[in-house]
Amino acid sequence: MGEKSLKRELGLLQALMMGIGGAICAGVFVTLGHAATLAGTALIIAMILCGIINLFTMLSYAELGASVPSAGGEYTFAKASLGGFLSFATGWFEWLSNMFYAAFSAVGFAYIISYVMPAINIPLTAVMTIIIFSLINIKGVKETGLAQTLLVLILLAILGIFIFWGFSTSQATGTLDLRAPEGFLGVFRASAFIFVIYLGGEAIAVAQAEIKDPGKTIPRAILLSCIALILIYTTITYVIFRIVPSESLVGQASPLAYVAEQFMGPLGVGMITVAGIIAALSSVNTSIMAHSRVAYALARDGYFPRAFFLLHGGYSTPVIAILIGSTFTAALAATGIVNFVAYATDFGFIIGFILVNLSLIKLRRDRPDLHRPFKVPLYPLTPILGIVTSLFLIFFLEPSTLLIGAELFILGIIAYYMRMVRYEKIRLAIGGMNLGISAFSAVIAYLTISNSIPMSEGIAQLSSAIAVFISITYLAAGLLNLARKYG
Amino acid sequence: MGKIRKVASIVGGVQCGLGGLMSVFAYLIYISPSVRDSLAITSEEVYLYIFLSLVLSLFSILSGLLLVYEEDSES
Repeated sequence: MGEKSLKRELGLLQALMMGIGGAICAGVFVTLGHAATLAGTALIIAMILCGIINLFTMLSYAELGASVPSAGGEYTFAKASLGGFLSFATGWFEWLSNMFYAAFSAVGFAYIISYVMPAINIPLTAVMTIIIFSLINIKGVKETGLAQTLLVLILLAILGIFIFWGFSTSQATGTLDLRAPEGFLGVFRASAFIFVIYLGGEAIAVAQAEIKDPGKTIPRAILLSCIALILIYTTITYVIFRIVPSESLVGQASPLAYVAEQFMGPLGVGMITVAGIIAALSSVNTSIMAHSRVAYALARDGYFPRAFFLLHGGYSTPVIAILIGSTFTAALAATGIVNFVAYATDFGFIIGFILVNLSLIKLRRDRPDLHRPFKVPLYPLTPILGIVTSLFLIFFLEPSTLLIGAELFILGIIAYYMRMVRYEKIRLAIGGMNLGISAFSAVIAYLTISNSIPMSEGIAQLSSAIAVFISITYLAAGLLNLARKYG
Repeated sequence: MGKIRKVASIVGGVQCGLGGLMSVFAYLIYISPSVRDSLAITSEEVYLYIFLSLVLSLFSILSGLLLVYEEDSES
């Protein structure tokens, strides 16, 4: 039982469909309205800009994927080059981001279905979707790849009809003059906002241990998916602005469906709804595969419990990693809090981009003799541009996204130290933190009792009682932890 | 089970419970505008409160489990 048991069953077409399908998510169908308000018709420039930024890092993915074709994607690259906490942090963000992304896509799918069947229960539908795709993922990578290929081919056919119909129709009232109401700043903001629709190509790298002839197939699949995404998104945006003025997209819940209705009628709305459903399903499928492979790789290196490394006897898939990750994903989808944590997906993926470029530079320096079937052109300019442009995108993210990212980072540090640092030290640290929280709560209690914090009398009494209770509990917990250490 | 062990189990259980309540509190802040209004939390501060509540919640559960688990393993 081990990594050699993962079967190499995915060819170029399946790997390519995994990259395209992982990127074209339900977000494409809903984000373009807000992006158009930020960038106007210059959204076309933002689309190309995002594609180029994505391409810088995807070139690094292609080289590393072909040189280190083991399960785990970014995490494996970071492990081979950076090692230690940085490699764990890469895997940690990747694992969480993919689970959040799967939950977000499943809820998105349920919402799209609810437009057609308003009576359905959204959390239940989302959970059922995750269960079905988890079972497909357990059944085998071949089945996962087949499901993905079929879904993405149907999706591409629908988008192809939308594009060609949009090019040929005479019912066009839009303008193709490039105008950005908020100038370059608006274009950059729109770029940071829509960058999520390019994320997904790295799913190929995550599944690289199951791709046939990895030295050739991985770079080809990654680069082809990048180019295909730039073409698809740019032409869709072109068609949108050919059909309607950018101002008319403001406030539209589903801008693509709105545009399709203008020149295709109800048939267009139906087609785009079906495309949205397929995009969401394909993202769920890819994300489940991605999070399970990252957990599998983290367990392989001792960061996660050994159970995550177990493969199914008959199907050779990481069944425990799929089941545990999918249980967490289903719980996220069922609570409905997924909209909040979905912001973390962007942050996690962009941090992953930076670390992948750093991994490439480090590996080129440390192991110049490594067999590299594909090499990044214009090295080191390309990975440096990848790092700079990713940092640039973080600068334009919502502040709340950064806060959630910081929270995930702290959780990662706790998980790492729980696994790697001696038990006695953890207990000592927790004891100290308990005493600190106790002292803080005591100060809060004093401030509320002495009316230093303005609030009504009833709330002040309740707050001070809670603060005193917390202070005593944490004091006891802290003393007990320290007593164990020194007792 | 000695007295200190019993106390540690109870304190650990209470800490776990507090951790769970803090998670619920974070969820309520996120989901309910009326809770935010009653606590005078502005829209800019929402994520900060959620962040602090979740960190404290996670820490409480970890600390509580450490006390309870240790007592169980020793008994």
